[in-house]
Amino acid sequence: MARQWGMVIDLDRCTGCEACVVACHAENNIDTVGEDQAARGRAKHWIRVERYYEGEYPDIKAKFMPVLCQQCAAAPCEPVCPTFASYHTAEGLNGQIYNRCIGTRYCANACPYTVRFFNWFNPVWDEPLNLQFNPDVSIRSVGMMEKCTFCVQRIKAAEIQAEAEKRPLKDGEFAPACVQTCAPKAMVFGDLNDPTSEVARLARSNRATKLLEETGARPQVTYLKRGSWNGAENAENA
Amino acid sequence: MQKTPEQINEDLLRPLQGTGNVYRVVLAFFVCVVIVAGYAFGHQIDNGIGVAGIRRPVFWGFYITNFVFWIGLSHAGTLISAILRLCNATWRRPVTRCAEVITVFALSIGAAFPVIHLGRPWVAFWLFPYPSERGIWPNIRSPLLWDFFAINTYLMGSVTFLLLPMIPDFALVRDRAVGFRKKIYSALSLGWSGTPKQWHRLETAMHIMAIAVIPVAVSVHSIVSWDFAMAPVPMWHSTIFAPYFVCGAIFSGIAALIIAMALLRKFLHLEEYLLPIHFENLGKLLLVMSLLWVYFVASERLTAWYGNEPAEMTVFWLTQRGSFSPLFWTMVFCNFILPFPILAIKKLRTITGCVIASIGVVIGMWLERFLIIVPSLSRKYLPYSWATSAYRPTWVEITITAGTFAAMVMLYMLFSKFIPIISVWELKAGQHPVAAEEYARFADGQTRLADELERSEAGAE
Amino acid sequence: MQRRDFLKISAASGAVAALEGCGNPDHKLIQFIPEEDLIPGIATWKPSVCTLCQSACGTQVRVMQGDAEVVRNGQLGLIKMGLAKKIEGNPAHPVSHGKLCPRGHAALQVTYHPDRIKGPMAVTGQRGSGEYQLISWDEALKRLQAQLGPLATAKQKGALLFLTAPLIGQRRTIVEGFAQAFGGSPVEFELFDRSVLEEANLQSFGIAAMPTIDLSHSNYVISFGADFLGTWNSPVAQSVGYGAMRERPGQRGKFVQFETRVSQTGANADEWIACPPGMEGAIALSLAHVILGDKLRPANAAGALGTAIDGWSTGLTEYAPEKTAAQAGISAATITRIAHESASNGPAVVLIGDLATAQTNGLASALAVNALNMLLGSAGKPGGIEFSPTAVAGGATASGRGANGSIRDVVQLINSSVPKALLLYGANPVFATPEAWQVKALLEKVPFIASFGSFVDETSILADLILPDSSPLESWMDGSPEAGTTRMIVNVAPPAMNPIHETRSMPDVLLTIAQQTGGDAAKALPWKSYEDAVKASLAQYQSVKGGSVTATSADDFWSKVQAAGGWWSAEAEPAAIRLGETGTTIRTTTAQFDGDPEQYPFYFLPFPSQMFYDGSLANLPWMQEAPDPMSSAMWGSWVEVNPATAQKLGIAQADLIEVASQHGTVRAPAMISPGIAPNAVAMPIGQGHEHYTRYASGRGANPIAILAPMSTENGALAWGATRVKISKVGVGRLALFGGSFREDEIDREPR
Repeated sequence: MARQWGMVIDLDRCTGCEACVVACHAENNIDTVGEDQAARGRAKHWIRVERYYEGEYPDIKAKFMPVLCQQCAAAPCEPVCPTFASYHTAEGLNGQIYNRCIGTRYCANACPYTVRFFNWFNPVWDEPLNLQFNPDVSIRSVGMMEKCTFCVQRIKAAEIQAEAEKRPLKDGEFAPACVQTCAPKAMVFGDLNDPTSEVARLARSNRATKLLEETGARPQVTYLKRGSWNGAENAENA
Repeated sequence: MQKTPEQINEDLLRPLQGTGNVYRVVLAFFVCVVIVAGYAFGHQIDNGIGVAGIRRPVFWGFYITNFVFWIGLSHAGTLISAILRLCNATWRRPVTRCAEVITVFALSIGAAFPVIHLGRPWVAFWLFPYPSERGIWPNIRSPLLWDFFAINTYLMGSVTFLLLPMIPDFALVRDRAVGFRKKIYSALSLGWSGTPKQWHRLETAMHIMAIAVIPVAVSVHSIVSWDFAMAPVPMWHSTIFAPYFVCGAIFSGIAALIIAMALLRKFLHLEEYLLPIHFENLGKLLLVMSLLWVYFVASERLTAWYGNEPAEMTVFWLTQRGSFSPLFWTMVFCNFILPFPILAIKKLRTITGCVIASIGVVIGMWLERFLIIVPSLSRKYLPYSWATSAYRPTWVEITITAGTFAAMVMLYMLFSKFIPIISVWELKAGQHPVAAEEYARFADGQTRLADELERSEAGAE
Repeated sequence: MQRRDFLKISAASGAVAALEGCGNPDHKLIQFIPEEDLIPGIATWKPSVCTLCQSACGTQVRVMQGDAEVVRNGQLGLIKMGLAKKIEGNPAHPVSHGKLCPRGHAALQVTYHPDRIKGPMAVTGQRGSGEYQLISWDEALKRLQAQLGPLATAKQKGALLFLTAPLIGQRRTIVEGFAQAFGGSPVEFELFDRSVLEEANLQSFGIAAMPTIDLSHSNYVISFGADFLGTWNSPVAQSVGYGAMRERPGQRGKFVQFETRVSQTGANADEWIACPPGMEGAIALSLAHVILGDKLRPANAAGALGTAIDGWSTGLTEYAPEKTAAQAGISAATITRIAHESASNGPAVVLIGDLATAQTNGLASALAVNALNMLLGSAGKPGGIEFSPTAVAGGATASGRGANGSIRDVVQLINSSVPKALLLYGANPVFATPEAWQVKALLEKVPFIASFGSFVDETSILADLILPDSSPLESWMDGSPEAGTTRMIVNVAPPAMNPIHETRSMPDVLLTIAQQTGGDAAKALPWKSYEDAVKASLAQYQSVKGGSVTATSADDFWSKVQAAGGWWSAEAEPAAIRLGETGTTIRTTTAQFDGDPEQYPFYFLPFPSQMFYDGSLANLPWMQEAPDPMSSAMWGSWVEVNPATAQKLGIAQADLIEVASQHGTVRAPAMISPGIAPNAVAMPIGQGHEHYTRYASGRGANPIAILAPMSTENGALAWGATRVKISKVGVGRLALFGGSFREDEIDREPR
């Protein structure tokens, strides 16, 4: 069966530290835009940690939710791209072909999760910051749309390596940058079509939910709701 | 009052024969504005589209507002002209070319915006279905591609619809022209000599075009509306968008037509051709469209409000009483509260009154496009990802927008200098309506006779 | 690592130069001979250690061949070299477990920073003008020798002041040895002082070290203000443990946070309880009161730790929930319930840190928490507080480690007799101390100042001579972290890449000077290089059984340990604790605050920024642009104000606010934040640099500057003990990444 890459994000484990955000910048050659442009909504965080408050002080709570491209199976960003720059790959990813993009930005409007980012200018790195570039990831230029790719360069590298060694890919053998660095292990990545994979197992959890499922986009990221604590129950289970 | 054909010729061809200084100065001003807009666009290409004010999540702003506005404006022309022809409304005669010209220019201006708003306009040609060596074709599932085809089809149709009835007038000018101008108008008039056969062919072609262009026009703005309605964005994903937009398009188009006609009437001294009755009739049409517009807006907002869906209600209240409410209420004022009494009360439905109402409508409809696009994009589903600050256009967007209005005026001014803005032959034909029909029948009969003669002669040989 | 004898190969093509983005296709560059053998396109992973905070997380660095434009002996050229591309956690490392915090990733930008000091510099203008000229290493060493040489001979105490960030391993040994040999002392300075907890742990457990918390086995975690999932202590190790605590099959642990402002850590609490600053110790004792009173634990369970606290033996009547509740604004029922929950759902562990220990009663509060831990039975036990065995082995049985209060000793030293020379490394006290302490004026008195840092900052700009250290990725790394694992551990890693610029490893420079000086200095520091020193220090671990590396010979051990990134024991071996050595009675005194509440109505809560930490990372663009977790702000400072307070004072989002203490003012835009008490305002620490590279200079405001010179009981800066007043002075701008602060915004304006 063809692979369907997916993720599970456990909101009970996520601490909101944003290591994933910075790891993604480092891995994918995402430029920083500076204060002025950032104030004008042009910063590009392919993964972001959304934060919401509930209640009023002192009964105030806050919660975190990492949001990245959901690699939707029925992605609303795909049919609307006039040049097929946004398309669905055979392994279930929403691919973005940078040099096919003419920059209509329709896909960004159509995305219910607002996970697509646009290059408003040609990216600039003060040298020698450019020496840090990951050679496996293209540098995007002005007028192109970009977004999380589930670190497709890592997926490809792992697949090529497994094929060269004439063996199947193992679950957990590699991970996108965000998943790899998550200290509380809130993020899990793998093949949803492999019923033995950890991601498939966790996606069946009774805490599982999907974000904006009602839009019909069929996202491939499953969120596990924050748990609750009941002392008596837990004490009994101990 | 009746005018002789010679008087008509003289009045309607006068603008082609000389230019005043006032004209030159005014034209120069608008040309300058267009050049500045061109510079702004060049600046945008050179530096990146980031020089505009659009940002995440408001990825569309002024440019798409202008796009929809100008495509919408283009509807009145051909639609009105075609419908009026099919209904044989005789009062249309001085109006049709003014209207068709608006269509062609507004379409051209509107069609420039999908290129202007692109991040990489230098590869805009990828929208064109050509066999590339990479074997990639454009994506026909995309409403933007439907736009591409629909607008081009409509543009071709409108140009045809405009050019066809201009042929006899080109011939008229050719007969009065000398030297270089004569050569040009000869070429344009395609050897027209006014034979019955030619008239017959012209009328048939006009008839076919009139019928064909109506569904094309309706489909164009329906497709433009689907740029929004097809996306899962709160307050965009609404089934009412296609008819709503078509109605709005006709609404803004009629208003533009009224303004254009009033200006032509004044500056080309066409007071005896563009009569108050024309403005009255168009004013009544405008009133109908205003009511229809209110109907659509009210239906849409009522169902949204009643449905109380959270994401939709966020956008709803943002427009109704939040930061966009000043623009919203201005729009309601311009599109309904101002025009309704002016157009409904006969005493107020003068030329001046109609022009005031129309100016309001043009402003109101531009605001309507803006208010459809920007508030919805500002607040989509995830509140953390709402716009952190309001979308503000920069000088680049404002300049280019101003440039489009200047371009419209400039093109119109140039057109009226080279081609009679009122269809001369149609006006003349209209002076003798019964004669026109009889003549048409006679011409038809003559043509058939001539055809039979040809056949028998051929058979005899 | 000597780079001599390179030949110039004539003219690399302009195309090659253009590849590196120099943007000038006509620019012909010399091609230097590569110094390493790398296959292009193939990545190697090298172990290293992150040094951006005290956790010393083990990392692995992806190194690939690339072309770098470098200057060698004044000549610009291209060289093919291994370049670090990505930093990840080292999966085998007992502290990082293969994970990292956001700051760890940004360490790459230290190495490749455009404003990094590229070679030795000598000041040309006035001191502090920032005008420097590049000089050769020979010249720089000559000058340094000229200044320091006489001090070695004179051996006058206090002649040399070596001001550093807290150091570990041989780096520390060399600095200490050097300082002493030249008649001085090393002074370690850091803003986020560990001395309060180290002192408390010394008194309670006989170990002057930060605690290692076994969160993965905890069932109930109470934290008093400690940002343990963000910046406090060993955040990566703690986050790993926290994740395990949450989703243990069958039992999910509970986490309760007491603090005044919802921090990034506090947002994850199952129960977040607002408590005023300075009352943490009292609440801890209130919990103890309930546990003792309701007999949830044996009366003497806390042993000497308990009896050291005034009133403990009589049941802590002063801390009855009703009394504490009234003062703290928490319901008595809540305190009672939490006490019961923690007692019945063990292992339960209590943490305290950050603002809670930065109060005038910080030490007392920490001791109260230690007693509570003892009472709950989690001191020295799995699921509770433990201590690193290597920390103890490294001498953590006496206090006096890096404290921000240490700068006070500097003050005293300089006031009594001005040192002849000041050496700076990794510490920026001009930025990270209140202006009331007047550190800058003080340091300026020293006639000769040299800095080993990689950047010009507020303190190093006073230097007359700069001898830039190589960046951590370009340096040998060694040392044991103070907390984060209870395994024996020593980090050892060779440089992940060669230096890009003409920098030299600081310990090597010290060794060179020592050797050149000869005499006692040479004897104190007998190693030829830092690498040799590290190798020598490692020998002791070779014979230890049950370690991560087994080897046949010393050389074999050395190469294997380097390849692994360090040596650690296979099993956890938490240090044994010795209980309650001190006999002094502790009262949890009421916290004192500077500023009269009438005139200065707000508690001032500076907080460690997840991105800038203590300000040392504000120069990294990834850190400037990463959104602050709670506010989503980028590239700036802000003042967090409660919505009700803002409404009362007529303050709207992004209005420019002036925050005034009795000792200074700062200005920043207002952030209307639901997560802060109405009688407090908060500001992130880290911005407000006057000099700190193009990305941080002149940006934002520094809350430390206006703090009152209040101290904890043991002399550390009590950075939570200042009161302020606020007023609107104009309109500012916030660069936010997040739109709305809430999900249900329909009837509110977004904030």
